[in-house]
Formats: sequence, structure tokens, C-alpha cells
Amino acid sequence: MPLFEKLIESVIQGEEGSVRECVQQALSDHIPVKEILNDGLIKAINIVGEKFKKSEFYVPDVLWSAQAMKAGIELIQPFFQKSDVPPLAKVVIGTVEGDIHEIGKNLVAMMVEANGFEVINLGVDVPPERFVESVRAHQAKICMMSALLTTTMPTMKKIIEALKEAGLAGRVKTMVGGAPVTKQFALEIGADGYSPDAPGAAELAKEWIAG
Amino acid sequence: MAIGFKSQCVPTYRVLTEDQIKEIHLATLEVLEKVGVRILDEEGIQLLKEAGCQVKNENVLQIPRGLVEESIHSAPSSIQIYNRKGNEVMQLGGDHVYFGLGTDLIYTYDLKTGSLRRSCLQDVVNAAKTGDCLEEIDFIASFALAQDVPTNLMYIECFKALLENSIKPIFFTAAGAEDLSVILQMAEVVAGDEARLREKPFLIHYSEPTSPLSHSKSAIRKLFLCADKGIPINYTPALLAGATGPVTLAGAITVANAEALSGVVLHQRRAKGAPIISGFVATTMDMLTSTAVYGGPEFRLTHSACTDLYHYYGLPVWGTAGASDAHCFDQQAAMEATFSILMGTLEGANLIHDVGYLGQGLIGSPATIVMGSEIISYVKRIRRGFDISQEQIAMEVIQKVGPGGNFLTTESTRRLHRQEHWRPKYMNRDNPDMWKEKGSKTYGERVTQKALEILETHRPEPLPDSVRQKLEELIKKAEKSLMGIKFVV
Repeated sequence: MPLFEKLIESVIQGEEGSVRECVQQALSDHIPVKEILNDGLIKAINIVGEKFKKSEFYVPDVLWSAQAMKAGIELIQPFFQKSDVPPLAKVVIGTVEGDIHEIGKNLVAMMVEANGFEVINLGVDVPPERFVESVRAHQAKICMMSALLTTTMPTMKKIIEALKEAGLAGRVKTMVGGAPVTKQFALEIGADGYSPDAPGAAELAKEWIAG
Repeated sequence: MAIGFKSQCVPTYRVLTEDQIKEIHLATLEVLEKVGVRILDEEGIQLLKEAGCQVKNENVLQIPRGLVEESIHSAPSSIQIYNRKGNEVMQLGGDHVYFGLGTDLIYTYDLKTGSLRRSCLQDVVNAAKTGDCLEEIDFIASFALAQDVPTNLMYIECFKALLENSIKPIFFTAAGAEDLSVILQMAEVVAGDEARLREKPFLIHYSEPTSPLSHSKSAIRKLFLCADKGIPINYTPALLAGATGPVTLAGAITVANAEALSGVVLHQRRAKGAPIISGFVATTMDMLTSTAVYGGPEFRLTHSACTDLYHYYGLPVWGTAGASDAHCFDQQAAMEATFSILMGTLEGANLIHDVGYLGQGLIGSPATIVMGSEIISYVKRIRRGFDISQEQIAMEVIQKVGPGGNFLTTESTRRLHRQEHWRPKYMNRDNPDMWKEKGSKTYGERVTQKALEILETHRPEPLPDSVRQKLEELIKKAEKSLMGIKFVV
């Protein structure tokens, strides 16, 4: 099987070890890093996204692919500066103050990372000012916030307002998620976007960066 | 872990204890021996007389208990049913559960207009296609009564439509022995010849005694014809408690069981070891509307008792489920279909018919068949139970993930979620936004859409041209021989 075909298949099947081998092989074959990223890893994760949309893949399958993808990216990341690959866009993510639910948020982080972003994961119970500081310090393009409790949902609005007050509106896009969060709620609190699931969050982030 | 620990839990259900089964069985034998059954066919009377039955008066014969028990023993405990192509598909017996359609519905709840109209041959075609496409439907049947075809040819044309639109086994009725013999000739053409059809039957004839305790001439002639040819027959009464049977459930069960077992006696005396599926329906007559209740709780209780009895006898047993008293595809239809499919499955009936029946056996609805298929799938997941082995308890995974971790990215979740977690096809599990984006549709709308899609897109495997041609010739002959004649009743 040609190398790129094998790489793509390995990402789709979520075979981390095989992805690493393929990427190592590509690097020692002096294949440009940009090509490995775009024609190998990104192409593969896009196929995974399509399969998820068609209900051929379920969430666990997508996450395994994401993990395998991440392993591949880690190998080529050190070469980004030397090649013509622009630095990865940065995403700040966290569970809002008062809430310690983090599995869903971590899955989003994993998926976003697998789709070619650098993720700054702030963890749980994160106060608004930490979101603001982190976005500013990392020049993040996207700020993602999660809440599972209906009582902590209003904190999301506070964070969006704090980002505005800090003069970061227009420079950072905000995305909200969590079981009780709806599109309507996202609109009401002035968030730029919302996703019901981890693969959707990664898709939306890619759209924003591309467009 | 205890020695002999069985790690697989399998939910089952029964209503009768062994003592209670014996009590009903003894009462049934007493009915047959003392009250007797009415036999409206000379050949049937002769056969029973020769077997040692006493004539009580004119055409009522008393059947001795020894003869009943001998017949239960001689009937096969398991019947292998094939599909049109000769592949093994249903092993009727034990607690194997199969689902399929019913027959003869005079009205159809139209998929496109959502209103009632008279059924026609096209509805039989539609039912066959729908049943062929849905994996949870194991056997097909006419579903609709083709009222656009003359009565004497109606069942022949239906059988042809079923043959042409599905490879699944066919559960079928006939007006009399006259058209039944033509239908069996058609089946022989499909199988190759009479011997091959006997060897690999892909059809089950459905005929019935008349409650209380009567066998019509037509029913006996159909029963004998199938016995002679070794064609599986489902010979089962449908009794109405309080009208054609005692009002009490125990009484209704006893009388219906006597009707069914007297059928087994007739059948086995005619051809020892020939395949028969037995059992009965003992439902209630609604005492306000005088209608036959399909969706009531008594139907389920008596049917569960029936299944317990026939498991005890070691005979393949008939079932009814996925049917409703509702006149349209609505919430009542869903509720009654769900209860009946759940109980029919857990009790372990073998040949469960009438999926998609509405209006107390008067109305067919293809969308209700699609809904039934999803309920069957759901209930079969319940029946599959779960395994409590060391591997399935997953102690290692629990230790590895620990408090605060996640199980979603573990290897075991990825490997086992498909087999452990059932997935619906049409039921809603979307979040509110996604549901709105998809048009805020009700379950009924989604299932109706699926039913329409099947009719537009499903292409059943066609019959070979040579077979089709031979069938046409048989039907032409039947037109000449059967048109205008009066069938024996």
C-alpha cells in the first residue's frame, strides 16, 4: 500500500502506532511537512468527519482517530517553523467557574487538536478573568467554554462580556457547548457559535479559520 | 465465583407454573373427551371414528385423552422453514422467536393520504416489499385483502404477488381447498417439484377452526391437503371470551386449547409426523362495541398462557403481536404494538404474526410495519440480556480510568459499544437543535417517510423468467377452472 494511503487508513482506523510509523517514514523520505499534514493527516480526519456525519462512525471511533491524528501532528510539529507551514491557530478552552464537569470539554479539546489546532486547556472551574488572560497571552483565535449545569450557564455570558471589555472582540471568536446549551442560548448570550458535539466543534472551528 | 455460574443473563417471562399448565391441560382433555368437537366434514368424522373417537351426536365427536396425547407426541417439535431460494431461515420451535405479517385486511391506512380506503392487490405488493426490506421481519403475508381481484382468484394472485416481491417465507391463507391446491402447485413450480417443496418448505398455510369447538368442512379439507403434502400448516382458533368462549380467561384458554389440540389430532391422524404449528388466540369481545379486541391486556395474558402450554407440549407455537385496535397509525397503535411485541418475545412464541395490523384486524398500515420492526429490534436487545463475565465487568478498565477519568476514549468502549448498545433507526435521540434542523418531525412522520422510501427504492430479487412463465400458465388454467364455481365452506 502506498505510504499516504496507509497513513490515511491508519488515522481512519485509529491506529496510533501505525500513524507514527508512517509519519516517521514520510519524514525520512524527505516528504515536505506541509504535504504530510494536508494530504495525509488532515485529509484523513476530514474523511472521519464525513463518516461521522453519515452515522457510519460513532463518537468512540472518531476519538480514536483523533488520538492517532494527534500522535502524527506531534511528530511533525517541530518542523513547522523550518517549513512553510504557518503556526497552528490557537484555541483556549475551559469549563466555566462553578462547574467541574470536564469529560465533554476534554473530548472537544482532543477533536480540535486533531484537526490542526494548538489547544490551551484551562481545565475546570475557570473564572472569566483567566479566560481573558489566556486569550490575550496566546493570541488565541477561538475561545471555547463548556458548562453542564444550568446554574453555571450564565457564567458564559460573563466571559463573553469580559472578552469584549478587554478589547478582544473581533480578534477572538467564542464557542459554547455542554448538554443544556442550545443554539438559541448561544445567540442570546452573544456567542459566535455553538456545537452539540465534539466533532461538530472541530468542524466549526475549521470553518472559522478557513473563512 | 460460584461453581457453575452462568454469566449470561437472559430475560424471559412465563405466566403459568408447571402445576397450572397441567391443570389447564387436564381440563382441556376433559372438554375433548366429554363435550367433544363438531366436525363438519365426512372424511374428518370417519378418520376420528377409526381412531377410536365416539360419536356423541350427529357430527360431535368425543376424543379420548390417549389419542390427544399420542398426537401431541407424533407432531414434530421443530419445523425448519426455508426462504424462496432454499436457504434455512426459521427454525420454528423451542423459544426461537420470529416475526412477520398477517393476512386479509380489508382496509388500508394510506401512506400518502393518511386516510382509510379499501385494500387492493397493490397493497399486497407493498406489504411484500416492505417486509422484504426490513431485516426484523422474518416472514411475509398478504397483509391486505385484494378486493380488486375476483374472490376465487384473490388468494392465488396474492400468492403470486408475494412470490414476486420478496424471497422471505410466505404465511398465507386461501378461500378453500380449491384455490389452496393451485397455490401449492405454484409453490412446487418455485421449489422445482413436489418433493423439493416438501423437503424445503418456504411457505406456511394459515387456516383455523371455528370457535366454539367446531371444524368446518373447508378448514378440514385445507388441513388434510397440507398434511398430505407435508406443507407446514398453522391451524389455530381465535376465540372471543364472553361470546364464542367462556368469559373467564381460564375457561377461554381451555376451550381454545381444545379447539387447537383437536386440530392437531385430525392432522396427525391424517399424516403422522407432518409439520403443524399450533396454539390459539383467546381474546375478549368488547362488551360495549361488540368488536374483537386485538390490543387488550387479556389478549396478552391468554397468549402467554398459550405459549407456556405449547412449550410444555413441545410443539411450535403461533403468536400475535405488533397489532392494535387503533384505526390510524397513532399513539395507541404504538402503545399496543410495544406491549404485545415485548410480551410475545419474552414469552418465546415462535411464529408471531400480525405486525402492522390496525383496526382490530381490519386495517393494514405499512408505516405500522416499519414501526413494528423498530420495536422488534429494541425488544430483541432486551431479550439478548447481558453478560456478567469477568471481562464484561471490566475491572481492569475501571481501575485504569479511575475517579474523574473518562471511559469514552478507552479501547473497550471503542471495541464493544456497537454490540453492547442498541441503536435506533427512526427514534429520536437528537438534541433539540438538531431535531429542529431536521424539520421537527414526529416519530410517525419519520416512519411514514421510511415506509414511502422503501416502496420507491426497494428492489426485491425477481423470480426467474422461466418460473414466472409457468406461474402465469397455472393461473390461466385456474381462471378457467375456478371462475364462477362455488367453493366448499
